[in-house]
Amino acid sequence: MARDKGKAEEFTGPLRRLVVGLLLLVLIGTFVLWRIDNPRVERLRAAIVDSVVPSFDWALAPVRTVADITSDFQSYAKIYEQNQELRRELRRMQAWREAALQLEQENARLLDLNDVRIDPKLTFVTGVVLTDSGSPFRQSVLLNVGRQDGIQDGWATMDGLGLVGRISGVGGQTSRVMLLTDTSSRIPITIQPSGQKAVLAGDNTIGPVIEFLEDPSLVRPGDRVVTSGDGGVFPGDLLVGSVSQATDRRLRVRLAADYERLEFLRVLRSREAEPITDPGSLVAEPDAAELAAEGPADG
Amino acid sequence: MADNPTSDIWRHHALFVLLTLGIVFLSLVPLNTVPRNIAPPDLLLALTFAWVARRPDFLPVWLIALVFFLTDFLFHRPPGLWAALVVLGTEFLRNRIHNLRNITFIAEWAMVGAVLLAMMVGNRLVLAVTATPQVPLSLTLIQIGATILIYPLAVLASNTLFGVRKTAPGEVDALGHRL
Repeated sequence: MARDKGKAEEFTGPLRRLVVGLLLLVLIGTFVLWRIDNPRVERLRAAIVDSVVPSFDWALAPVRTVADITSDFQSYAKIYEQNQELRRELRRMQAWREAALQLEQENARLLDLNDVRIDPKLTFVTGVVLTDSGSPFRQSVLLNVGRQDGIQDGWATMDGLGLVGRISGVGGQTSRVMLLTDTSSRIPITIQPSGQKAVLAGDNTIGPVIEFLEDPSLVRPGDRVVTSGDGGVFPGDLLVGSVSQATDRRLRVRLAADYERLEFLRVLRSREAEPITDPGSLVAEPDAAELAAEGPADG
Repeated sequence: MADNPTSDIWRHHALFVLLTLGIVFLSLVPLNTVPRNIAPPDLLLALTFAWVARRPDFLPVWLIALVFFLTDFLFHRPPGLWAALVVLGTEFLRNRIHNLRNITFIAEWAMVGAVLLAMMVGNRLVLAVTATPQVPLSLTLIQIGATILIYPLAVLASNTLFGVRKTAPGEVDALGHRL
């Protein structure tokens, strides 16, 4: 009985197998290409996302608004307590603000006395978060600013307070921010006040792990964590969060940015560090330096 | 049901594309930027396998490849690999469609579960061989487990809502072809 069906499939069979084989070849080929020439395929990915997601935009906005309203509605229940809490917090903040103002003035006077030249303030582009990564394995968000707004790969992204992630993948109108919590995120950090350098590694939990720390005994929970600017990828001195010790005894960072609600993000325009190429006339005499450079070529 | 079998098939192609768009949309929308310890089931995967195990002619291989290739890009997976594995898994079921028609649902469930697990293992093996950074194993296991658990629901929805049923032995379409 079932064999009769074979008749009809007889001449579609080999053709079908060919089609399946070709499809598999294309798919596996893309994967291999992605593994070999990652940036090019990632650019393709950014282009695909760039063309698909903004077409969802009209529907994304109302759904998000409804979701926000429901969560806001739930918080009405405890609005009184929140109000009290906010008042107390505001008191404390006003004290801090006064202290900060005084310190800023003092700092400015001291800098002026010492004639210190500091980095100019970073400028930023603000973008709205369109979507998350859509997968529980990837921690990233999509912003509505892209190449048209001058965004470049690798720029740092912050919310109002702390570092959120870095740009990885830029499309025409969208760009993807890889969050610090993503498993492939690695950021050079400095832990204050001990000044130790380390690397902040995301591991798909809300608290990224501090790795490559030289002397853990100098670090206490509660210490401030800022970016170190090592490697020239990131501007330095951006607030990341504070050290905390997790139940597994590993040092993690409690992030300063509010990951519960990422809505508006600032993309910091960072300029490339100027490399110093020549040895300079003080270190070695120009002629000697040139001779040293030419020496091996001659010999 | 449909008077014309070809238009019925095309209607189901369109329906599958619509469902894909809906699922992609739903997974992109709830802005969840805090990492979770649990992973939701992969609805698209459960739906695809439920359809292939019922009516393979409703889901041609090119449509599966296209849909999963696109979602590979959208969901930030290594492009192509998961799509290739889904194509392999569905082809495996497609070639055994005559057996699938005769076995009980529990046996079918076990078979689909085994294929899904094999795909997951294959995925991790290839990623390990090519030294690609991997996602935590626990999350992947939870997701595959949840997908297998939700499979009966996907089957139920396919049966009742989308009209994707197993064909009875000897059933013919309007033109008299065997299904």
